[in-house]
Amino acid sequence: MVTPFGSMSIGELQAGLTAKEFSAAEVARGTFERIEAADGVVHSFLETTEALALDAAARIDGAIAEGRLAEMGPLAGVPVGYKDNLNLTGTHTTCASNMLRDYVSPYTATCVERTLRAGALPIGKLNMDEFAFGGSTETSAFGPTRNPWDTERVPGGSSGGSAAAVAAGLVPVSLGSDTGGSIRQPGSFCGLVAVKPTYGVVSRYGVVAFGSSLDQVGPFARSVEDAALVLNAIAGRDALDCTSQPSDVDFTANLAEGVRGMKVGVVPAFLEAAGLAPEVRAKTQEAALALEKMGAELVEVELPHAQAAMSAYYVLGPCEAFSNLARFDSVRYGYCDPGHKDLGSQYEASRARGFGPEARRRIMLGSYLLSAGVYDTYYYPAQQVRTLITRDFAVAYESVDCILAPVAPRTAFKLGEIGDPTEMYLGDMFTISINIAGNGGMSVPVGLGADTGLPVGVQLIAPPFKDANMFRAAAALETVYGPAPVAPDYADGKVGA
Amino acid sequence: MKTLEEVFETWEAVIGLEIHAELTTLETKMFCGCKLEFGAAPNTHTCPVCLGLPGALPVPNRAAIESIVLAGLATNCDIEKHSMFYRKNYMYPDMAKNFQTTQGPIAFCMRGHLDLDVDGRGAAERYRLDALAPGERDGNITRTEDGYVAHVGITRIHMEEDAGKMVHLGGGEGRIAGATHSLVDYNRAGTPLIELVTEPDLRTPEEARLFMQKLRQIYLAIGISDCSMEEGSLRCDGNVSLRRRGTTAFGTKTELKNMNSFKNLHDGLAYEICRQAEVLEEGGVIYQETRHWDPSAKRTIVMRVKETADDYRLFPEPDLAPYDLTDEFIEGVRAKLPELPDQKAARYAADFGLTSYDARHLVEHRATADFFDECMALAAAEADGGAFAKPLANLIINDVTAWLNAHEGEALAATPLSAARAVALVKLTVADVISSKQAKEVFAAIMDEDADPEAIVEARGMKQVSDTDAIEAVVDEVIAANPDEVARYRDGNDKLIGFFVGQCMKAMRGQGNPKIINELLAKKLG
Amino acid sequence: MTQHLSEADVRGIAEYTRIGLTAEEVVAMTADLNAIIDSLAPITEFDLDGVEPTFHPIGDLSNVMRDDAVRGSFTQAVALENAPKQESGSFLIPSILGEGGDR
Repeated sequence: MVTPFGSMSIGELQAGLTAKEFSAAEVARGTFERIEAADGVVHSFLETTEALALDAAARIDGAIAEGRLAEMGPLAGVPVGYKDNLNLTGTHTTCASNMLRDYVSPYTATCVERTLRAGALPIGKLNMDEFAFGGSTETSAFGPTRNPWDTERVPGGSSGGSAAAVAAGLVPVSLGSDTGGSIRQPGSFCGLVAVKPTYGVVSRYGVVAFGSSLDQVGPFARSVEDAALVLNAIAGRDALDCTSQPSDVDFTANLAEGVRGMKVGVVPAFLEAAGLAPEVRAKTQEAALALEKMGAELVEVELPHAQAAMSAYYVLGPCEAFSNLARFDSVRYGYCDPGHKDLGSQYEASRARGFGPEARRRIMLGSYLLSAGVYDTYYYPAQQVRTLITRDFAVAYESVDCILAPVAPRTAFKLGEIGDPTEMYLGDMFTISINIAGNGGMSVPVGLGADTGLPVGVQLIAPPFKDANMFRAAAALETVYGPAPVAPDYADGKVGA
Repeated sequence: MKTLEEVFETWEAVIGLEIHAELTTLETKMFCGCKLEFGAAPNTHTCPVCLGLPGALPVPNRAAIESIVLAGLATNCDIEKHSMFYRKNYMYPDMAKNFQTTQGPIAFCMRGHLDLDVDGRGAAERYRLDALAPGERDGNITRTEDGYVAHVGITRIHMEEDAGKMVHLGGGEGRIAGATHSLVDYNRAGTPLIELVTEPDLRTPEEARLFMQKLRQIYLAIGISDCSMEEGSLRCDGNVSLRRRGTTAFGTKTELKNMNSFKNLHDGLAYEICRQAEVLEEGGVIYQETRHWDPSAKRTIVMRVKETADDYRLFPEPDLAPYDLTDEFIEGVRAKLPELPDQKAARYAADFGLTSYDARHLVEHRATADFFDECMALAAAEADGGAFAKPLANLIINDVTAWLNAHEGEALAATPLSAARAVALVKLTVADVISSKQAKEVFAAIMDEDADPEAIVEARGMKQVSDTDAIEAVVDEVIAANPDEVARYRDGNDKLIGFFVGQCMKAMRGQGNPKIINELLAKKLG
Repeated sequence: MTQHLSEADVRGIAEYTRIGLTAEEVVAMTADLNAIIDSLAPITEFDLDGVEPTFHPIGDLSNVMRDDAVRGSFTQAVALENAPKQESGSFLIPSILGEGGDR
C-alpha cells in the first residue's frame, strides 16, 4: 500500500517531489481523495479547497519542471489544513458557528498567507469548538470531530479538527489557535507535536479573535522538525498586527543539539495537582527522567500564582470575547434572522440563534465582569494576577531554560462525557497560565497512557521569544519516543476501524 | 419665556463643550489604510478593519497621533507620555465593531486652556460686567477696556475614531424617528477624530461661540482639519445647567446636539438656558437628557432620557500596544507648531501698530493672515512700508472679506488679487495718487478684470488731482455758484460742508483730493 | 453557591448584549453564570496592593504605528459581499428605533 501523502513528513514529501516520484498536483488530488475516504467519521474538515490547492500545485509543478523547487519555499507542495477561524479569501470562515455559516472571507490571514507564500497547498478548513470556546470540539455547530485514536472519544479542542486531521494522516501539518490550551490539549489527546508560540511570534491578523491578549496561532505536526518548519514560515513581525514582534529565529536550528547542559524546570505542585490522572503523572515523570538521562539538569521551580491562572483566564477570556463578538450583529455579515421590522428584535433573534450556548455564556459573562462596579472586583485584579504569574515565570526562568509540565490532566474523554462547563474548564489547568503570561508552550507526544492506552503529551514551556528552547528539548524527547504516529486505525492508508 | 438677559438676573448658566474634529487633512483613516474622502460612493473606502470583519486588527496612524499632540500643544495642554486606547462597548449599527476605539482616563492631551477676548455685543451677555474695573479678575474672567477675557479650561483632548453614516428612509425628512429602515455607509467609519472636552467654565452662549470659533482658528492654523461645520468635520455638543446666582452647586445638565454652525451653537444654548429657567421657575425639574436643537422651530427637543449613567464596559484595547511617547516625538511635533492666531495678532499689534480689533480680524482666517504677511513682506521694500499696514489691514478686513463672503467657495489665493497687486493698490492711496473711494473702484476692477491697479488707474484716467491751484479754482467756482448755501453755512449750518465737498468732487469727476478740498473749503468759507 | 446574579440581572445583561433569551434560557443561564462566577473566587483572594496590571503581555513594546499611506480598499461589491441585506451600495437595516420608537 502506498503511503498517503498526508502521512508523510514534509521532508519525505519534498524528497518525492524533487525526485519526481509524484507531482504536487498528485499530492493535492491524493490528499482530497484520502479526506473523502477517511474523514467521514472523524469529521475534521468543514470545507475542502480543491481549486485553491490545484492552483498552488500547478505553480509548484511549474517550478519543479524548471528545476526551481527550492525557490518555492520551505512548505512547497505540502498540504496544509487551517482551523476554521483563519481567514482565507474565497473560503468559508465559519468558526464552526451558525452565526458565520454562510460567511465567505474577502481577505486572508497573515499566517495563512505566509504558508501560501512558503509554497503550501491549502487543503481546507478544519472543525473547532464554536468560536474556539471549548475543549472538545463538541460545540461545533456542524457536529463534533472524533478522535482518530478512538472515535468514541473527543479529539480535544478547541482546535480538534486541526489535531484530528493530522492524527488521521489526512494532512501532514495544520494550523490551529490557542487561547487557553486549544492547540496543546488536542495535541496531547491526539498524540501530536502541537505548538503555541510566544504571544507576538505569529501575527493574529485575520485570525477571528476570541481573547485578543491570549490568542496565538501555531502548528500541529507529527514531528518536531515539521512543526518547526511551519512555525518558521508563519512567524515574524506583521505590519498589520501591532502586537506581533520580529522573529529571526530558525526553529529547526538546534533540534539536533540534544539537552546536555540544559536546565529543565519541573513544578512539583503541578504533579501533585488534584485531578491529574496517574497515567499522565507517570508519563510526565518518565519524560523528565528521560531528559535527565540525556544530560539535562532537572530543577524544581515554583509558580505560586499558577493556581489563580484559571480564574484570571475565565475573567480575561470572556471579557475580551464579549467585546470581540459584539460585531456579529446581522448588519454587515453573519446570520440575520428574517422578518424583523426593527433592528432591536433582529439583533436579539440573530444573536440568540446565531450563537450556541457556550458563546452566549461567555459573551454574557464578559459583559457582566466589565460592568461598572464589577470591573474592579474581577477584571482589574485579573490583570494584576497576570503580572504576578508573569513574574513567577520570569523568576523560574532565571534558573531554567524551559519547564516541563503536564498538558491536560487526563487523556481524551468520551463524547458527551463532560457536560458541565466548569468541569470542562478544568481541562485547561496546566495550559492557561502560559497564555496568561504570553509564554511559548508545546505539547510533545510521549506514548500511550498505561491505563487508557490513549496518547499522552507533555508540555514544554519556554521563556518569551525563546521558543527555540522548547523545540530543542522536544527534539530530544522525540529521539526517545519517536515521531508521532498516525492513529493506528488510520495508519498505512487505512480509513478507520 | 424670558429673554436671556432676564434669565441671567436670577440664574447663572454653566456650560461645557465637547468638540469633535475629524482629522480631514490626513491621507488615511485612524486604524487602517483606507483613504479619507468626503462624498465618495458608499462603502468604497472600506477594508476588513473599518468594516469590523472578523479577524481584522487596528494599526494606528502615526500622523493622527502627531496631529493630536499638535492640537494639545496649541491649546496649552500637558502631553501625557503614557496613555492607552480603550474599547467603549455599545451596539449601534454605524459602528462596525460595535465598540469605539477611544482613550481611557488618560488622554494624549490633558489640562489645557484658552483665553477668549469677549467684547461688544458678546460682552453684553455677561451679567454685571460693569461691576469690574479693567484689569480686575473675577472667577475665570478678567475685565478689559472694551470687554473681558474669559479663561476657559480644557479638560482633555483624546484620540478616537468616527462612526459610519446612516441614511434613514421611510420617515419624515430623513429623520430616524418614524423611519422604516436605514442604509449604512462605512466610508466615514474609522476617520481619525479628536474630542476636546472643556471644563464647565463657560457662562454665556457667546463665550461658547467664541471658544468654538477660536478653537476652529487654531485647528485651521495647525492644519489638522478642514473644520467644516457644514460637512460635520467639526461638531459641537454642549452641556448646560443652571444654578441660582450666588450658589455653587451644579444643577442637572442637559446635553445639546446638532449645533452645526456658530449661530446654532449660540442660539441653541441661549434657548436651552431660557427653557431651563422657565422650567425651574415654574417649580419643574430638569431631567438629564439629550436634546436636539431645531433651528427652524427655534427650540430644543428631547432625543433621549438618560435614566442611569451609560455603562460602556470600557477596558484597555488589547489589540493596540500602549503609548510611551518619547521626548523626541513630542519635540518633533512641537517643531511643526506654526505661529498661532493669538501670537500672530500680538505680532501685528507690536510690529505694525494695528489695533487689537484689526489684528484679531486679520488672524481669524489663516488665508487672510497669510495674505497680510505676504503683503507686508513686499511692503518692506518700500521706503514708507510701515505706513502700508493699516490700509492693507482695512483692504483685507473690509473689501477682501466682503468679496469672499459674496463669492462663496472661492479661495483668496486663487483670486486675481495677488499680494503684489494689493500692495500696489495701497501704495497708490498712501501716495495720494487715488482717493480711498477710488481705491474701492480699483479693487473691484482688479477682481473683475484681473488687471494691475496701475493699469486700471491709467486706463480710467482716475488719478487723484492733488494740484492745489486746480482745486482752488474749482472751490472758488462752487462757492460763487451757491450763495444761499454759503450764507446758511456761515449762519452755523456746519452740515452743509458735505454739500460743498460733493459739489467740488462732482465738478472734478471724483478725482479731487478730498483732503485738500476740505482744507480749502474750510479756509474760504470760514 | 452564591447568588451573584438574579434572573432580572441576567435579563438585563441579555438586553445589553442583545441576545434574546427565552424564560427557560434565562433560568439556565442564571445558574450557569452564578456557578462560573463562583469559580472565579481565587481572583479576589490575593493581596494585590501595589501590583501593576498587565493589560498587554508584550513586554516593553509600545508606540506601534504605521505611516499615513493609502492601502487598497475593497470595491463596493466586495464590501457588501456578505451583507444579509443591501440597497443602493449600502447595508440595509430595519428601523433602528422600532415602531413608535422615540428613544
